[in-house]
Amino acid sequence: MIYFDYQSSKPVDPRVIESMLPYFDKKFGNPSSLHKIGDEATEILDHSRQAVAKFINAKPEEIIFTSGATESNNLALIGFALRNKHKGNHIIISEIEHISLHNIAKYLQKNGFEITRVPVDFYGQIDLDALKDSITDKTILVSINYANNEVGTIQEIAEIGNLCRERGIAFHTDAVAAESQIHINVEDNKIDLMTLSSNDIYGPKGVGVLYIKKGLRLNPIIIGGGQEFGLRSGTENIPGIVGMKTAAEIMEKEMDSEIATLKVYQKKLIQGVLDNIPDSYLNGHPEKRLANNVHFRFDGIEGESLLLALKDKDISVSTGSACSSKTLEPSHTLIALGLVHEEAHGSLQLTMGRFNKPEDIDTLLNLLPGVVKKLRGLSPLYKES
Amino acid sequence: MKSTTYSEKVLDHFRNPRNVGTLEGEDVSMGRVGNPVCGDLMEIYIRVKDNIITDIKFKTFGCGSAIATASMITELAKGKSIEEAEKITRGDVADELDGLPPIKMHCSNLAADALKAAIKNYREKGHQSEKEKRTLQKIIGIERFQDAGVYTKINDPQQLKDKRIIILDKGEESVSRACLLRELSPRVVFITPNKESLFNEEFKQKLHKARVKILYETEILELLGRKKIEKIKVHDLNEDEVYELFADAIIL
Repeated sequence: MIYFDYQSSKPVDPRVIESMLPYFDKKFGNPSSLHKIGDEATEILDHSRQAVAKFINAKPEEIIFTSGATESNNLALIGFALRNKHKGNHIIISEIEHISLHNIAKYLQKNGFEITRVPVDFYGQIDLDALKDSITDKTILVSINYANNEVGTIQEIAEIGNLCRERGIAFHTDAVAAESQIHINVEDNKIDLMTLSSNDIYGPKGVGVLYIKKGLRLNPIIIGGGQEFGLRSGTENIPGIVGMKTAAEIMEKEMDSEIATLKVYQKKLIQGVLDNIPDSYLNGHPEKRLANNVHFRFDGIEGESLLLALKDKDISVSTGSACSSKTLEPSHTLIALGLVHEEAHGSLQLTMGRFNKPEDIDTLLNLLPGVVKKLRGLSPLYKES
Repeated sequence: MKSTTYSEKVLDHFRNPRNVGTLEGEDVSMGRVGNPVCGDLMEIYIRVKDNIITDIKFKTFGCGSAIATASMITELAKGKSIEEAEKITRGDVADELDGLPPIKMHCSNLAADALKAAIKNYREKGHQSEKEKRTLQKIIGIERFQDAGVYTKINDPQQLKDKRIIILDKGEESVSRACLLRELSPRVVFITPNKESLFNEEFKQKLHKARVKILYETEILELLGRKKIEKIKVHDLNEDEVYELFADAIIL
């Protein structure tokens, strides 16, 4: 099996699993308990908070553990909006946010907040002028992803951070797609709120983080026993949190060499596809893109049938085609780039990661031209020229 | 059930589609149906002799179930009389394939409709006339976006560098302009109200070679945006569907 869908799910690193195991049965304490085993849990929770803080150059008290990126996005937007609505009711996001963020924004819109969705260019980069123009005296929050989860385009985060800081507006960024590919520094980039996921750095699912800059005020969205500085109640998921700690420590050490390898794969894939498959195109930015991401479109064929044909050859990929989504809508990100429906349907997303081997790239490059040719032979939209 | 969880029979027809291709000749009729929301387009060609479908072929742009249903209906209809073939329903096709995922029953089960369209085409033979060339409606928002994305002439092409450009079909000059601008921008879309079959073949080749995207049978209804053009509302005349396309500039 060849796996090219690291953006959807990553395997947990064996070293991470190892580090988690004692916390299921031997060190099973609840940090709220006052006995020895409870103290042990408090200690590892503190250590984990420090490790994740170091990973993004934050302070430990700025790290809130959650159940994952979706919850972190909910806390960032809803928690911030509710606490700060006396200052204004306007929130700015982009057209290419993750679906969870889009739906949270829609929810806030139904509840009295005004949402502006800033457009992107053909490469997927935010129109900074449009962002500036969208700011009003009612704007309290800007939320733009660090890098896009589909086409991998990296945003000018420092510029957006500067702009927001100058205007006294809080800046949230969903860094899930970026966290395994970029050394993130929340101080330098003037980030106020940031979403992280454990699985996206090869940790377990069900754990995430919201970074909240010291001094920023939010309302909790999960109310209870007051854990996580009162911002996220519920007994801490210690095994999961330990897993995220180990994952962050490994990622910090190994990121540079991983990126170097992924860049070689990326270059080979892009060249191999564009040179050997006629009427194929790269979606997203040619340079400012995550090293683990390639995203193509092919004239005349539909993504789900491409995915199925590769599935038959034991290769796992992803597509922006509507036919493989729950809603039967094409990817909102590809449409926002300026693609028309039939182009969005013909897209292929390949995301690579820690456990890919050079042979994986060769195998795909050997098979793909034939698969595309076969499907084009069935298509009324493609005539060989 | 996942939208891509298919029966073995569906997968078999997807892997080894039967009767792929087109037919040509006086005695051939064609039906074309499509659903742009789901991204499926299907063509079925039938050759009828003495009221019997003696040959049938298909072409499909679509997902796994779109390909499998088209393949299946060609098997079901071959050798049948027009009246028998007309009775084949969407349900029959799905049943013969041992079922389809529920979400695909409506949108990717077009084969019966395509066959019916081909039969309709067979009955109407001799009474057809191509639709007249359509005239453009007035586009809403042209005045509002003057100097903010609407161009009638281009003094400095560099100002369009890397912009997403929409060019309206105004004949040869607009075709050349589209090809030139494509060198400055990764995204140039040429919009014409004409059907693909009626569009000048030389222009088509030129635009294709320059990698300009062509949208046939489309007209522009409205320009949308805050301070400058962000989206255009377009009308797909073939499907009679209105949708929005993200763009930065339009050249009239």
